[in-house]
Amino acid sequence: MKYDIIIIGGGLSGLTAGLRLQKAGRKTAIISAGQNALHFASGSFSVLGDGVTLPEEHPYRRLPMERYLDEVKPFFAEAGILLGGDPHVNGWRLTPSGSFLQGRFSLEETRLFSTPGELSARKALIVNIPGFLDFNTAFLADGLAQRGIETRIGNLDVEDLTRLRTSPSEMRSVNIARVADTVPHKIIGGVKALLSDEDLVILPQVFGIHDGTIPAQIAAEIPAGVLFVGTMPPSVPGIRTQMKLKRAYESSGGTFLMGDEAVAPVMDTTRVKALRTVNLGEHLLQADQYVLATGSFFSKGLASSMQKVYEPLFGLDVRFPEERTDWYDLDFFAPQAFGGFGVVTDGTFRAVKDGNVIENLYAAGSVLAGCYSQQLGCGGGIAILTAFAVADNILEAARR
Amino acid sequence: MNEEFDVIIIGGGITGAGTARDCAMRGLKVLLIERNDIADGATGRNHGLLHSGARYAVTDRESATECIEENMILRKIARHCVDETDGFFITLPEDDLAYQAKFVESCRAAGIRADIVDPKEAIALEPSVNPDLIGAVRVPDGSVDPFRLCSSNIMDAKLHGAKVLLYTEVTAFIIEQGVVKGVTVLDHKNGGRAEYRASVTVNAAGIWGHNIAALAGVNVGMFPAKGALLIFAHRVNGIVINRCRKPANADILVPGDTVCVIGTTSTRVPFEECDHMQVTPEEVDILLTEGAKLAPSLSHTRILRAYAGVRPLVSADNDPTGRNISRGIVCLDHETRDGLKGFITITGGKLMTYRLMAEQATDLVCRKLGVDKHCETAFTPLPGSEGGNLEEVSKSLWSNPLTLHKALVGRTGTRAAKVSLQQKEDQALVCECEEVTVGEVKAAVERLDVHNLVDLRRRTRVGMGTCQGGLCALRAAGILGEAQKCTAKAKDDLRQFLRERWKGMYPIAWGDTLRECEYMEWVYTQVLGLQKKEVK
Amino acid sequence: MTLQELTSSAHNFEECMKCTVCTAYCPVVPVNPRYPGPKQAGPDGERLRLKHPFFFDEALKYCLNCKRCEVACPSGVKVADIIQSARLKYSRQKPKLRDRMLASTDLMGSLASPFAPIVNPVLGLGVTKSILDGMMGIDRHRTFPKYASRTFESWFRRKASAAQAAFPRSVAYFHGCYVNYNFPDLGKDFVRVMNALGYGVRLLEKEQCCGVAMISNGMASAARKHASHNGKVLGKAASEGLKILTTSSTCTFTMRDEYGELLGIDTASYRDSLLMATRFIFSLVDSGTATLVFKPGYKARIAYHTPCHLEKLGWGVFSTSLLKMIPGVEFTMLGSNCCGIAGTYGFKKENYEASQAIGKPLFDEIKAVAPDFVACDCETCKWQIEMSAGIPVKNPVSILAEALDLEKTAEANRNA
Repeated sequence: MKYDIIIIGGGLSGLTAGLRLQKAGRKTAIISAGQNALHFASGSFSVLGDGVTLPEEHPYRRLPMERYLDEVKPFFAEAGILLGGDPHVNGWRLTPSGSFLQGRFSLEETRLFSTPGELSARKALIVNIPGFLDFNTAFLADGLAQRGIETRIGNLDVEDLTRLRTSPSEMRSVNIARVADTVPHKIIGGVKALLSDEDLVILPQVFGIHDGTIPAQIAAEIPAGVLFVGTMPPSVPGIRTQMKLKRAYESSGGTFLMGDEAVAPVMDTTRVKALRTVNLGEHLLQADQYVLATGSFFSKGLASSMQKVYEPLFGLDVRFPEERTDWYDLDFFAPQAFGGFGVVTDGTFRAVKDGNVIENLYAAGSVLAGCYSQQLGCGGGIAILTAFAVADNILEAARR
Repeated sequence: MNEEFDVIIIGGGITGAGTARDCAMRGLKVLLIERNDIADGATGRNHGLLHSGARYAVTDRESATECIEENMILRKIARHCVDETDGFFITLPEDDLAYQAKFVESCRAAGIRADIVDPKEAIALEPSVNPDLIGAVRVPDGSVDPFRLCSSNIMDAKLHGAKVLLYTEVTAFIIEQGVVKGVTVLDHKNGGRAEYRASVTVNAAGIWGHNIAALAGVNVGMFPAKGALLIFAHRVNGIVINRCRKPANADILVPGDTVCVIGTTSTRVPFEECDHMQVTPEEVDILLTEGAKLAPSLSHTRILRAYAGVRPLVSADNDPTGRNISRGIVCLDHETRDGLKGFITITGGKLMTYRLMAEQATDLVCRKLGVDKHCETAFTPLPGSEGGNLEEVSKSLWSNPLTLHKALVGRTGTRAAKVSLQQKEDQALVCECEEVTVGEVKAAVERLDVHNLVDLRRRTRVGMGTCQGGLCALRAAGILGEAQKCTAKAKDDLRQFLRERWKGMYPIAWGDTLRECEYMEWVYTQVLGLQKKEVK
Repeated sequence: MTLQELTSSAHNFEECMKCTVCTAYCPVVPVNPRYPGPKQAGPDGERLRLKHPFFFDEALKYCLNCKRCEVACPSGVKVADIIQSARLKYSRQKPKLRDRMLASTDLMGSLASPFAPIVNPVLGLGVTKSILDGMMGIDRHRTFPKYASRTFESWFRRKASAAQAAFPRSVAYFHGCYVNYNFPDLGKDFVRVMNALGYGVRLLEKEQCCGVAMISNGMASAARKHASHNGKVLGKAASEGLKILTTSSTCTFTMRDEYGELLGIDTASYRDSLLMATRFIFSLVDSGTATLVFKPGYKARIAYHTPCHLEKLGWGVFSTSLLKMIPGVEFTMLGSNCCGIAGTYGFKKENYEASQAIGKPLFDEIKAVAPDFVACDCETCKWQIEMSAGIPVKNPVSILAEALDLEKTAEANRNA
């Protein structure tokens, strides 16, 4: 099976690269071994925290940052995803623990404030869904109280959700959404009945798993300000974003091979010639260019044993310290060294193996070395902007 | 506060808990004082092996006999804490098969059933065992959950009127005319200080008993011996696997609850390290290399945690160099030994013989108090262990028990009946790996002296499963915060809990554990927004 | 070695990161709160069951075995395999008569086919449906697929078999119960298309039902019997160098993957030779070995639904690529959703409501797209979609048979 470009990895980075290449008229396929980190999204994409210094090897140093940031919102809008936020200035997101964290592009129902102080209310109603343990209303109330906002926690009881609660384990964000989305009027009614003198209502992000307008519909009907706050995984806005991106990619003619895994590349020292996948067997996938967007450890883009950190598919060069004790910090909350591990690439994000550049293999997203996504607050930007860069570099190379 | 007791017991490990229970059952007015939480020291940091005594049969007949006797007693009085798995002592090609005959003979002499099993049959019975084995002996080993055992003893002591103070540290002894009259304490929960008086004070503080004795002005020559262990993510074996040779590093693999544990190493460490045990990469390497010899699949089984405990070794009284270590029970009457009245140290021994240790200490306390009551702990079941097996108890409580009911019975035995699961909300799972419900968490918080999330883990297994709290920590923190009516503390507890889980994960942070670490870091710091904050 | 091969746990259960992604894709969870969910029933429950078999929960029977959890899992955990293995290993519930009847598709077929003119109207009668509903627990909304009065095998023997030897190359065909007893036309289409491509068709030596319904109804020993028989027959055909083709994604998936994962059958002798017909045809075209000549005037608006088991196989791409080759086809890829029938599951009265609720997003989408017909590689999806969305469903092989100029195709491939 022959494509212009094959992308390995169907998460935010792989889909972004695939969609950009499809739009440029290329024939592409994405191989996606299972779902991805978008399912644990926080509600906003972070690009870079304020006041952090980029390490020398950071991927941002190899791409036109400002121009790309301007392209993000129109790009996602074409896929039906309306991002909020100022592309060049960090906003602040109210987290489910009641703290504020920086973010740049917000998913539909998430709001970014210009400063934490911009969230002002006299009194807030925090809506608790009984039995839903992944949204801690007391934590939120504590956070708001520290900002001088009076709060009241109210229990939203809707019979359709009561039925779901029969299951001891499945009262999760996505399942609530799958039920609540069928009865938004009951949710609205339930919240209205709870509301008394509050001027702000806080709801968990458990609405609109397929349809991103549902949160806005709910908000429009409630006679107070409404703020949707994230939950513990899975992330409803994240999954919706994933599904929309995939839809947009498939509608643009891309082939999405869900649940398949690339296992055996055919390559020589400078080029990848074909890929074998678990499902397609002897039908090797061939392309002129390949993109590795397999993510970091969780997504298995990087693997590790007692002795080493490695890139499991191509055996690309990976940067990591030799001593295992240098991989981590003893404090859970300290920056972890493993956040910077990843594959070595050249100036155009072409991957390196045994010191040689692989001419037609590019890497995008958190599989790249030097990201430190959690420490620098750049996870979303790494995924999106490096995918832009890789797509553009591939198109540029073809022009030359 | 000046309250009078018959006996003060220092230490909330299994020895202190067992002694408190025994004393309370004999009608004494008991106060137990623990610096941290129950089972925080060596009690909670061992294999959880229900020794048959076979391990000591060749080298220490007395310990072996004690073990098998206590083994049979625990099966009856602590059945909800015990899993009757049996054990193999296997001989590998590099071991001397001649040792097997001596081993079997010694076991039988100590009263331990020991049956030679054909290697092929051993593989059929325990498929995970090293297929290269050339010999196997089956003995009545098993596994015992030390947290559950300790908690049940504490619970029964309380049911018999004992008072238990956790997070309370003994800062000084009240000594008047050569007689220990009581202790002064510092309450770490609120910074308060108090005095408690009793006719007899028992030092049951494990390795920390060395310092407690020094505080009273007497010397007990103890030596901390660190033992590191690894927990694997599921039960690889159903039967305990030991090596049939002289005891050495990493030669026991114990299936306990949903996991299995390989251990241990043995290293002398300075006293200063006892409160800050860290597992080194070298220890991990030894455990994995040696463990794979017992069950080869361990080399590619997911590891959940690494941890280390400190054995309280006691040197013989006549040997100040500490070279002659006794592994047996040491019960010191400081009146006869040091001329200090009203003070006893009970130490040495092992988890297996805690009840016997408690009996000996309590006998001595009773002699000093002139109380003539016999010990009944050898035949009185612990709370939760009065009923039948898992299946019988579950079916007696629910006509159609769900997995969560069964898991609850597995942890609490007949006490499961006391957990409220009537409301749907109470049936919701907090910890999905171990099937711990909201109802059980609430019951533990209400009745089992839970001060923080780590305490909750010891009593319920919340956060002990595959994800090490990744999924359940916030849920549990929410319930605890609500019960204690303090959200700020709950947030701090959550941070501490994650740090504590991390401590067991970083020594093995590769493969799936590294994946889990990355995920956990993302979810708690970036999604939930919990940030580093110095905890006062 | 793939990463997943580095684990020692059965079906990779301990690779589970507890990320809960599987639960987000389980079609059963939101409609049936008695089902513990894939994570609980699968990797979580497995650790407890290893501790003691008493931890097995009969509620695992609510699992559809659609494998969507496995396709979604970022960690390669074979969630549904864990659940189905546990059912086969630990369940103490004996399958009901109804379940055994539903599961024995070939037995029922061989009894009913000779009497099809009588059986079909009787099964369609309101009174029969009431009896089946009331006494047997087969939901009254369901219409049994009609039985053909002559089986595919008998048609093949009388009408087709003799001509097959004339072709230079051969393939074997596993037709399955549905083609044999209910819808021989699909088998006939298959023979015509293969013949046009220059391949003669051989039937296997006495194929039996693949047993998928036996597995899902907990009939472990019957399933094993069928699997072991089919394993031998398939192995023999493969050893003769034949590719064994099928027109049912579920039969294929069951014999290729479930026999090994769930029933412990050694599939090595035939696993790589067992293919969906669309995969085989695609590879002929893709490699230039065969040519397809389509009718010039063919026009159709087709929406493609990927059956769960085909999604798991990852072979939907072969069917869709072939359909997209047809000039005059307006193609829509439907979203990834389960139709809810899951073989015999949806026929059971107790599951009817859940079954329809699961399929609703798919039915709604089909109605919105309003294609001429839906293309799909699975016969049970076909029943469900036709009943619930009211749009006809065709197998891609039948669509090819319709769209191809068979004579010109035959000619092109004769000359090749």
